[in-house]
Amino acid sequence: MLQNVTNYHYPGSLDEALSLHNRESRSYFIAGGTGLALSESRQPIALIDLNRLGLDKLKTNSDTKKITVGATTKIQTLVKGQEITHIANDYLSESLEKVGSYPVRNAGTLGGSIVRPFPWSDVIPILLTLDATVEYYDGSHGSRSLENLYEKEFRSTLRNSIVTGLNISLPEEGVTMARFFKFARSEFDVSSLNLGCRVTIHDGRIAEARLVVGARPSFAQRLYEMEETLAGNQASDVSGRHFSELAKSSVEVGGDQKMSEEYRRAQVKKMTEDAINQIITDYDQRK
Amino acid sequence: MIIEFTLNGKDQKFDVEPGEILLDLLRAEGNTSVKEGCKTGDCGACMVLVDGRAMTSCTLFAAQVDGKEVTTLEGLHDELAEELRREFIDAGAIQCGFCTPGVLISSYSLLTHNQDPTEEEIKAALDGNLCRCTGYVKQIDAVKRVAAEL
Repeated sequence: MLQNVTNYHYPGSLDEALSLHNRESRSYFIAGGTGLALSESRQPIALIDLNRLGLDKLKTNSDTKKITVGATTKIQTLVKGQEITHIANDYLSESLEKVGSYPVRNAGTLGGSIVRPFPWSDVIPILLTLDATVEYYDGSHGSRSLENLYEKEFRSTLRNSIVTGLNISLPEEGVTMARFFKFARSEFDVSSLNLGCRVTIHDGRIAEARLVVGARPSFAQRLYEMEETLAGNQASDVSGRHFSELAKSSVEVGGDQKMSEEYRRAQVKKMTEDAINQIITDYDQRK
Repeated sequence: MIIEFTLNGKDQKFDVEPGEILLDLLRAEGNTSVKEGCKTGDCGACMVLVDGRAMTSCTLFAAQVDGKEVTTLEGLHDELAEELRREFIDAGAIQCGFCTPGVLISSYSLLTHNQDPTEEEIKAALDGNLCRCTGYVKQIDAVKRVAAEL
Protein backbone atom coordinates (compact mmCIF):
# COMPACT_ATOMS: atom_id res chain seq x y z
CA MET A 1 0.00 0.00 0.00
CA LEU A 2 1.00 3.63 -0.45
CA GLN A 3 3.28 4.59 2.43
CA ASN A 4 2.74 8.33 2.68
CA VAL A 5 -0.86 9.40 2.11
CA THR A 6 -1.10 13.02 3.19
CA ASN A 7 -4.76 13.75 2.50
CA TYR A 8 -7.95 11.88 1.70
CA HIS A 9 -10.75 13.80 -0.03
CA TYR A 10 -14.41 12.99 -0.71
CA PRO A 11 -15.45 15.32 -3.55
CA GLY A 12 -19.14 15.64 -4.32
CA SER A 13 -18.82 16.53 -8.00
CA LEU A 14 -16.55 15.94 -10.97
CA ASP A 15 -15.45 19.58 -10.97
CA GLU A 16 -14.59 19.46 -7.28
CA ALA A 17 -12.60 16.25 -7.84
CA LEU A 18 -10.65 17.84 -10.71
CA SER A 19 -10.05 20.99 -8.73
CA LEU A 20 -8.67 18.94 -5.83
CA HIS A 21 -6.47 17.05 -8.29
CA ASN A 22 -5.09 20.32 -9.64
CA ARG A 23 -4.64 21.82 -6.18
CA GLU A 24 -2.71 18.91 -4.65
CA SER A 25 0.90 18.68 -5.80
CA ARG A 26 0.54 14.92 -6.26
CA SER A 27 -2.69 12.98 -6.12
CA TYR A 28 -4.42 9.82 -7.29
CA PHE A 29 -8.09 9.18 -7.83
CA ILE A 30 -9.30 6.15 -5.92
CA ALA A 31 -12.38 3.95 -6.40
CA GLY A 32 -11.79 0.34 -5.35
CA GLY A 33 -8.12 0.78 -4.53
CA THR A 34 -7.06 -2.69 -5.71
CA GLY A 35 -4.52 -1.23 -8.16
CA LEU A 36 -3.16 1.28 -5.65
CA ALA A 37 -2.80 -1.55 -3.14
CA LEU A 38 0.11 -2.84 -5.20
CA SER A 39 2.06 0.41 -4.91
CA GLU A 40 4.65 0.80 -2.16
CA SER A 41 5.47 4.39 -3.07
CA ARG A 42 6.85 6.52 -0.20
CA GLN A 43 6.20 9.78 -2.03
CA PRO A 44 3.65 12.09 -0.41
CA ILE A 45 0.32 11.63 -2.15
CA ALA A 46 -3.26 12.77 -1.70
CA LEU A 47 -6.15 10.44 -2.51
CA ILE A 48 -9.38 11.65 -4.08
CA ASP A 49 -12.26 9.23 -3.56
CA LEU A 50 -14.60 9.00 -6.55
CA ASN A 51 -17.26 6.86 -4.90
CA ARG A 52 -19.64 9.73 -4.11
CA LEU A 53 -19.94 10.97 -7.69
CA GLY A 54 -22.65 8.54 -8.80
CA LEU A 55 -20.35 6.87 -11.31
CA ASP A 56 -21.61 3.38 -10.53
CA LYS A 57 -24.64 3.37 -12.81
CA LEU A 58 -25.44 1.04 -15.68
CA LYS A 59 -27.41 2.52 -18.56
CA THR A 60 -28.70 1.16 -21.84
CA ASN A 61 -29.40 3.62 -24.63
CA SER A 62 -31.53 1.97 -27.29
CA ASP A 63 -31.19 4.98 -29.65
CA THR A 64 -27.40 4.86 -29.81
CA LYS A 65 -27.41 1.09 -29.26
CA LYS A 66 -24.86 1.48 -26.52
CA ILE A 67 -24.58 0.50 -22.92
CA THR A 68 -22.68 2.62 -20.45
CA VAL A 69 -21.04 1.18 -17.38
CA GLY A 70 -20.04 3.73 -14.75
CA ALA A 71 -16.33 3.78 -13.94
CA THR A 72 -16.77 2.95 -10.24
CA THR A 73 -18.98 -0.06 -10.95
CA LYS A 74 -17.56 -3.05 -9.10
CA ILE A 75 -16.46 -5.88 -11.34
CA GLN A 76 -18.53 -8.38 -9.34
CA THR A 77 -21.67 -6.30 -10.00
CA LEU A 78 -21.35 -7.19 -13.67
CA VAL A 79 -20.77 -10.87 -13.11
CA LYS A 80 -24.32 -11.83 -12.33
CA GLY A 81 -27.84 -10.53 -12.35
CA GLN A 82 -27.44 -7.56 -14.65
CA GLU A 83 -29.44 -7.39 -17.86
CA ILE A 84 -26.66 -5.68 -19.79
CA THR A 85 -24.16 -8.43 -19.11
CA HIS A 86 -26.15 -10.66 -21.45
CA ILE A 87 -24.60 -9.04 -24.50
CA ALA A 88 -22.77 -11.43 -26.81
CA ASN A 89 -24.61 -14.24 -25.08
CA ASP A 90 -23.36 -13.61 -21.54
CA TYR A 91 -19.78 -12.92 -22.65
CA LEU A 92 -19.33 -9.94 -20.34
CA SER A 93 -20.57 -11.70 -17.22
CA GLU A 94 -18.85 -15.02 -17.87
CA SER A 95 -15.51 -13.51 -18.77
CA LEU A 96 -15.47 -11.01 -15.89
CA GLU A 97 -16.07 -13.92 -13.52
CA LYS A 98 -12.56 -15.08 -14.43
CA VAL A 99 -10.99 -11.84 -13.18
CA GLY A 100 -9.15 -12.28 -9.86
CA SER A 101 -10.92 -13.69 -6.85
CA TYR A 102 -14.21 -12.70 -5.17
CA PRO A 103 -12.65 -10.10 -2.87
CA VAL A 104 -10.76 -8.55 -5.79
CA ARG A 105 -13.94 -8.37 -7.90
CA ASN A 106 -15.94 -7.05 -4.92
CA ALA A 107 -13.54 -4.12 -4.52
CA GLY A 108 -12.09 -3.63 -8.01
CA THR A 109 -13.78 -1.38 -10.55
CA LEU A 110 -13.87 -1.23 -14.34
CA GLY A 111 -12.56 2.34 -14.34
CA GLY A 112 -9.63 1.41 -12.13
CA SER A 113 -8.65 -1.32 -14.57
CA ILE A 114 -8.43 1.31 -17.32
CA VAL A 115 -6.67 4.02 -15.34
CA ARG A 116 -4.01 1.58 -14.11
CA PRO A 117 -3.66 -0.67 -17.14
CA PHE A 118 -1.51 -3.54 -15.95
CA PRO A 119 -0.16 -5.67 -18.82
CA TRP A 120 -1.71 -8.77 -17.26
CA SER A 121 -5.16 -7.15 -17.06
CA ASP A 122 -8.05 -9.43 -17.99
CA VAL A 123 -10.55 -6.56 -18.05
CA ILE A 124 -8.84 -4.70 -20.91
CA PRO A 125 -8.85 -7.59 -23.44
CA ILE A 126 -12.45 -8.39 -22.46
CA LEU A 127 -13.52 -4.79 -23.15
CA LEU A 128 -11.37 -4.50 -26.30
CA THR A 129 -13.15 -7.54 -27.67
CA LEU A 130 -16.39 -5.56 -27.26
CA ASP A 131 -15.04 -2.37 -28.94
CA ALA A 132 -15.43 -0.38 -25.73
CA THR A 133 -14.83 3.35 -25.59
CA VAL A 134 -13.60 5.27 -22.56
CA GLU A 135 -15.58 8.27 -21.32
CA TYR A 136 -13.65 10.86 -19.35
CA TYR A 137 -14.02 14.31 -17.89
CA ASP A 138 -11.25 16.91 -18.00
CA GLY A 139 -13.44 19.97 -17.57
CA SER A 140 -15.56 18.85 -20.47
CA HIS A 141 -16.76 15.38 -21.38
CA GLY A 142 -14.72 13.38 -23.87
CA SER A 143 -14.65 9.90 -25.29
CA ARG A 144 -11.94 7.80 -26.93
CA SER A 145 -11.70 4.25 -28.14
CA LEU A 146 -10.17 1.91 -25.58
CA GLU A 147 -7.80 0.89 -28.35
CA ASN A 148 -6.01 4.22 -27.90
CA LEU A 149 -5.30 3.45 -24.24
CA TYR A 150 -1.62 2.74 -24.73
CA GLU A 151 -0.94 5.86 -26.79
CA LYS A 152 1.20 8.47 -25.05
CA GLU A 153 -1.19 11.28 -25.82
CA PHE A 154 -4.24 9.46 -24.42
CA ARG A 155 -2.29 8.40 -21.31
CA SER A 156 -1.39 12.02 -20.82
CA THR A 157 -5.04 13.07 -21.21
CA LEU A 158 -6.12 10.47 -18.69
CA ARG A 159 -3.55 11.66 -16.14
CA ASN A 160 -5.47 14.92 -15.86
CA SER A 161 -8.97 13.51 -16.30
CA ILE A 162 -11.47 11.42 -14.45
CA VAL A 163 -12.58 8.27 -16.23
CA THR A 164 -16.35 8.38 -15.84
CA GLY A 165 -17.41 5.24 -17.67
CA LEU A 166 -17.08 2.72 -20.45
CA ASN A 167 -19.33 2.57 -23.48
CA ILE A 168 -19.97 -0.74 -25.12
CA SER A 169 -21.77 -0.93 -28.45
CA LEU A 170 -24.55 -3.45 -28.63
CA PRO A 171 -23.69 -6.01 -31.30
CA GLU A 172 -25.08 -5.41 -34.76
CA GLU A 173 -27.84 -7.47 -36.24
CA GLY A 174 -26.99 -11.16 -36.32
CA VAL A 175 -25.81 -13.61 -33.73
CA THR A 176 -22.86 -12.46 -31.67
CA MET A 177 -20.88 -14.84 -29.55
CA ALA A 178 -17.60 -14.53 -27.76
CA ARG A 179 -15.15 -16.45 -25.64
CA PHE A 180 -12.49 -15.42 -23.15
CA PHE A 181 -9.67 -17.69 -22.00
CA LYS A 182 -6.92 -17.07 -19.53
CA PHE A 183 -3.87 -19.00 -18.49
CA ALA A 184 -2.65 -18.40 -14.93
CA ARG A 185 -0.55 -20.41 -12.49
CA SER A 186 -3.44 -20.54 -10.04
CA GLU A 187 -7.05 -19.37 -9.81
CA PHE A 188 -6.07 -16.16 -8.03
CA ASP A 189 -2.81 -15.40 -9.84
CA VAL A 190 -2.70 -12.78 -12.57
CA SER A 191 -2.82 -13.99 -16.15
CA SER A 192 0.28 -15.28 -17.88
CA LEU A 193 -1.69 -15.02 -21.11
CA ASN A 194 -5.30 -14.24 -22.01
CA LEU A 195 -7.35 -14.11 -25.18
CA GLY A 196 -10.74 -12.71 -26.12
CA CYS A 197 -12.52 -13.60 -29.35
CA ARG A 198 -15.84 -12.24 -30.62
CA VAL A 199 -17.64 -13.18 -33.82
CA THR A 200 -20.85 -11.77 -35.29
CA ILE A 201 -22.55 -14.05 -37.78
CA HIS A 202 -25.20 -12.71 -40.14
CA ASP A 203 -27.13 -15.10 -42.39
CA GLY A 204 -24.51 -17.80 -41.87
CA ARG A 205 -21.60 -15.53 -42.82
CA ILE A 206 -19.07 -14.01 -40.43
CA ALA A 207 -19.79 -10.29 -40.57
CA GLU A 208 -17.28 -9.15 -37.98
CA ALA A 209 -14.55 -10.66 -35.81
CA ARG A 210 -12.37 -9.48 -32.95
CA LEU A 211 -9.35 -11.26 -31.55
CA VAL A 212 -7.39 -9.74 -28.68
CA VAL A 213 -4.39 -11.23 -26.87
CA GLY A 214 -3.27 -9.85 -23.50
CA ALA A 215 -0.47 -10.52 -20.99
CA ARG A 216 1.86 -11.28 -23.91
CA PRO A 217 3.51 -10.36 -21.38
CA SER A 218 3.15 -6.79 -22.63
CA PHE A 219 -0.12 -4.90 -23.14
CA ALA A 220 -3.06 -6.35 -25.05
CA GLN A 221 -2.88 -6.53 -28.85
CA ARG A 222 -5.63 -6.83 -31.44
CA LEU A 223 -4.84 -9.23 -34.26
CA TYR A 224 -6.23 -7.23 -37.20
CA GLU A 225 -4.97 -9.54 -39.93
CA MET A 226 -6.68 -12.45 -38.25
CA GLU A 227 -9.94 -10.48 -37.85
CA GLU A 228 -9.96 -9.49 -41.51
CA THR A 229 -9.23 -13.04 -42.64
CA LEU A 230 -12.07 -14.42 -40.54
CA ALA A 231 -14.65 -11.89 -41.75
CA GLY A 232 -16.59 -12.85 -44.86
CA ASN A 233 -16.25 -16.62 -44.39
CA GLN A 234 -19.25 -18.90 -44.21
CA ALA A 235 -19.45 -19.95 -40.55
CA SER A 236 -19.97 -23.56 -41.58
CA ASP A 237 -16.62 -23.53 -43.44
CA VAL A 238 -14.58 -22.16 -40.58
CA SER A 239 -12.20 -24.40 -38.69
CA GLY A 240 -10.45 -23.19 -35.56
CA ARG A 241 -7.35 -25.22 -36.38
CA HIS A 242 -6.82 -23.40 -39.70
CA PHE A 243 -7.18 -19.90 -38.25
CA SER A 244 -5.19 -20.65 -35.13
CA GLU A 245 -2.05 -21.05 -37.26
CA LEU A 246 -2.47 -17.47 -38.44
CA ALA A 247 -2.96 -16.25 -34.86
CA LYS A 248 0.19 -18.08 -33.80
CA SER A 249 2.28 -16.54 -36.55
CA SER A 250 0.91 -13.00 -36.35
CA VAL A 251 0.79 -12.43 -32.58
CA GLU A 252 3.68 -10.53 -31.02
CA VAL A 253 4.65 -12.31 -27.82
CA GLY A 254 7.68 -12.43 -25.57
CA GLY A 255 9.03 -14.66 -22.87
CA ASP A 256 9.29 -14.04 -19.14
CA GLN A 257 9.70 -16.06 -15.95
CA LYS A 258 6.16 -17.42 -16.27
CA MET A 259 6.17 -18.57 -19.89
CA SER A 260 8.67 -18.80 -22.69
CA GLU A 261 7.92 -17.04 -25.97
CA GLU A 262 7.49 -20.40 -27.68
CA TYR A 263 5.03 -21.66 -25.08
CA ARG A 264 3.06 -18.42 -25.19
CA ARG A 265 2.79 -18.66 -28.97
CA ALA A 266 1.62 -22.27 -28.71
CA GLN A 267 -0.97 -21.24 -26.13
CA VAL A 268 -2.28 -18.46 -28.40
CA LYS A 269 -2.75 -21.09 -31.11
CA LYS A 270 -4.63 -23.42 -28.76
CA MET A 271 -6.82 -20.68 -27.27
CA THR A 272 -7.70 -19.32 -30.72
CA GLU A 273 -8.60 -22.76 -31.98
CA ASP A 274 -10.80 -23.46 -28.95
CA ALA A 275 -12.45 -20.04 -29.06
CA ILE A 276 -13.37 -20.26 -32.75
CA ASN A 277 -14.53 -23.87 -32.55
CA GLN A 278 -16.68 -23.20 -29.48
CA ILE A 279 -18.24 -20.12 -31.07
CA ILE A 280 -19.07 -21.99 -34.27
CA THR A 281 -20.50 -24.93 -32.30
CA ASP A 282 -22.61 -22.50 -30.26
CA TYR A 283 -23.84 -20.88 -33.44
CA ASP A 284 -24.78 -24.22 -34.98
CA GLN A 285 -26.75 -25.14 -31.87
CA ARG A 286 -28.59 -21.80 -31.86
CA LYS A 287 -29.61 -21.98 -35.54
CA MET B 1 -9.28 12.86 9.89
CA ILE B 2 -12.55 11.65 11.39
CA ILE B 3 -14.40 8.84 9.66
CA GLU B 4 -17.67 7.26 10.63
CA PHE B 5 -18.90 3.78 9.84
CA THR B 6 -20.92 0.96 11.30
CA LEU B 7 -18.60 -1.62 12.83
CA ASN B 8 -20.24 -4.88 13.84
CA GLY B 9 -23.66 -3.23 14.07
CA LYS B 10 -22.57 -0.13 16.02
CA ASP B 11 -22.22 3.33 14.47
CA GLN B 12 -18.79 4.58 15.46
CA LYS B 13 -16.42 7.46 14.80
CA PHE B 14 -12.69 6.95 14.40
CA ASP B 15 -9.81 9.38 14.22
CA VAL B 16 -7.53 7.92 11.54
CA GLU B 17 -4.53 8.93 9.47
CA PRO B 18 -5.42 9.48 5.77
CA GLY B 19 -3.27 6.50 4.80
CA GLU B 20 -4.30 4.19 7.63
CA ILE B 21 -5.12 0.68 6.48
CA LEU B 22 -8.48 -0.75 7.52
CA LEU B 23 -6.80 -3.94 8.75
CA ASP B 24 -4.65 -1.96 11.21
CA LEU B 25 -7.61 0.04 12.48
CA LEU B 26 -9.76 -3.04 13.03
CA ARG B 27 -7.04 -4.86 14.93
CA ALA B 28 -6.29 -1.79 17.05
CA GLU B 29 -9.99 -1.74 17.92
CA GLY B 30 -9.73 -5.30 19.25
CA ASN B 31 -10.99 -7.23 16.23
CA THR B 32 -8.18 -9.75 16.29
CA SER B 33 -10.03 -12.23 14.09
CA VAL B 34 -8.79 -9.96 11.28
CA LYS B 35 -5.32 -11.39 10.69
CA GLU B 36 -2.34 -9.78 9.06
CA GLY B 37 -0.98 -12.24 6.51
CA CYS B 38 0.37 -11.09 3.16
CA LYS B 39 -0.79 -7.45 3.27
CA THR B 40 -1.15 -7.60 -0.52
CA GLY B 41 -4.70 -8.93 -0.81
CA ASP B 42 -3.61 -12.43 -1.77
CA CYS B 43 -4.13 -14.60 1.33
CA GLY B 44 -7.57 -13.54 2.60
CA ALA B 45 -6.62 -13.78 6.29
CA CYS B 46 -7.85 -10.22 6.82
CA MET B 47 -11.22 -10.75 5.11
CA VAL B 48 -14.15 -8.64 6.34
CA LEU B 49 -17.59 -7.84 5.04
CA VAL B 50 -18.05 -4.35 3.62
CA ASP B 51 -21.73 -3.70 2.97
CA GLY B 52 -22.16 -7.47 2.99
CA ARG B 53 -19.43 -8.24 0.45
CA ALA B 54 -16.19 -10.04 1.33
CA MET B 55 -13.14 -7.83 0.88
CA THR B 56 -9.56 -7.94 2.09
CA SER B 57 -9.07 -5.22 4.71
CA CYS B 58 -5.33 -5.01 4.01
CA THR B 59 -6.02 -3.47 0.58
CA LEU B 60 -8.52 -0.90 1.82
CA PHE B 61 -7.75 2.43 3.38
CA ALA B 62 -9.84 3.01 6.48
CA ALA B 63 -11.10 6.21 4.84
CA GLN B 64 -12.65 4.13 2.06
CA VAL B 65 -15.25 2.63 4.40
CA ASP B 66 -16.54 5.96 5.68
CA GLY B 67 -20.34 5.69 5.67
CA LYS B 68 -20.30 1.95 5.11
CA GLU B 69 -21.08 -1.12 7.18
CA VAL B 70 -18.09 -3.25 8.19
CA THR B 71 -18.46 -6.64 9.82
CA THR B 72 -15.70 -8.81 11.23
CA LEU B 73 -16.12 -12.31 12.60
CA GLU B 74 -16.55 -10.78 16.06
CA GLY B 75 -19.78 -9.24 14.80
CA LEU B 76 -21.27 -12.36 13.26
CA HIS B 77 -23.55 -14.18 15.68
CA ASP B 78 -26.65 -15.05 13.69
CA GLU B 79 -27.76 -18.61 13.00
CA LEU B 80 -25.76 -18.92 9.77
CA ALA B 81 -22.54 -17.78 11.43
CA GLU B 82 -22.99 -20.13 14.39
CA GLU B 83 -23.80 -23.03 12.06
CA LEU B 84 -20.64 -22.33 10.05
CA ARG B 85 -18.54 -22.30 13.24
CA ARG B 86 -20.05 -25.65 14.35
CA GLU B 87 -19.64 -27.36 10.99
CA PHE B 88 -16.06 -26.14 10.53
CA ILE B 89 -15.20 -27.77 13.85
CA ASP B 90 -17.20 -30.95 13.19
CA ALA B 91 -15.80 -31.38 9.67
CA GLY B 92 -12.21 -30.97 10.88
CA ALA B 93 -11.82 -27.89 8.71
CA ILE B 94 -9.58 -26.10 11.21
CA GLN B 95 -5.96 -26.87 11.92
CA CYS B 96 -3.66 -23.98 12.87
CA GLY B 97 -6.64 -21.62 12.67
CA PHE B 98 -4.87 -18.60 11.19
CA CYS B 99 -6.93 -18.55 7.99
CA THR B 100 -10.17 -19.68 9.65
CA PRO B 101 -11.79 -16.27 10.31
CA GLY B 102 -11.18 -15.21 6.70
CA VAL B 103 -12.54 -18.49 5.35
CA LEU B 104 -15.61 -18.16 7.57
CA ILE B 105 -16.23 -14.62 6.31
CA SER B 106 -15.99 -15.76 2.67
CA SER B 107 -18.27 -18.73 3.38
CA TYR B 108 -20.78 -16.50 5.18
CA SER B 109 -20.77 -14.05 2.27
CA LEU B 110 -21.33 -16.88 -0.21
CA LEU B 111 -24.21 -18.44 1.71
CA THR B 112 -25.85 -15.08 2.27
CA HIS B 113 -26.02 -14.48 -1.48
CA ASN B 114 -26.40 -18.08 -2.64
CA GLN B 115 -28.03 -20.62 -0.34
CA ASP B 116 -27.63 -23.55 -2.70
CA PRO B 117 -24.08 -23.30 -4.06
CA THR B 118 -22.48 -25.95 -6.22
CA GLU B 119 -19.06 -27.29 -5.27
CA GLU B 120 -17.57 -25.14 -8.03
CA GLU B 121 -19.26 -22.05 -6.59
CA ILE B 122 -17.93 -22.87 -3.12
CA LYS B 123 -14.42 -23.27 -4.51
CA ALA B 124 -14.75 -19.98 -6.38
CA ALA B 125 -15.96 -18.22 -3.22
CA LEU B 126 -12.93 -19.49 -1.29
CA ASP B 127 -10.49 -18.61 -4.09
CA GLY B 128 -9.33 -15.57 -2.19
CA ASN B 129 -8.40 -17.52 0.96
CA LEU B 130 -5.11 -19.36 1.36
CA CYS B 131 -4.91 -22.26 3.80
CA ARG B 132 -1.59 -24.05 4.17
CA CYS B 133 -2.90 -26.76 6.53
CA THR B 134 -6.16 -28.31 5.43
CA GLY B 135 -5.95 -28.66 1.66
CA TYR B 136 -9.41 -27.05 1.50
CA VAL B 137 -11.33 -30.33 1.21
CA LYS B 138 -12.71 -30.23 4.76
CA GLN B 139 -13.55 -26.55 4.45
CA ILE B 140 -15.53 -27.18 1.28
CA ASP B 141 -17.25 -30.10 3.03
CA ALA B 142 -18.17 -27.87 5.95
CA VAL B 143 -19.72 -25.23 3.68
CA LYS B 144 -21.65 -27.96 1.83
CA ARG B 145 -22.99 -29.28 5.13
CA VAL B 146 -24.19 -25.85 6.21
CA ALA B 147 -25.76 -25.22 2.80
CA ALA B 148 -27.60 -28.53 3.00
CA GLU B 149 -29.26 -27.39 6.21
CA LEU B 150 -30.38 -23.99 4.93
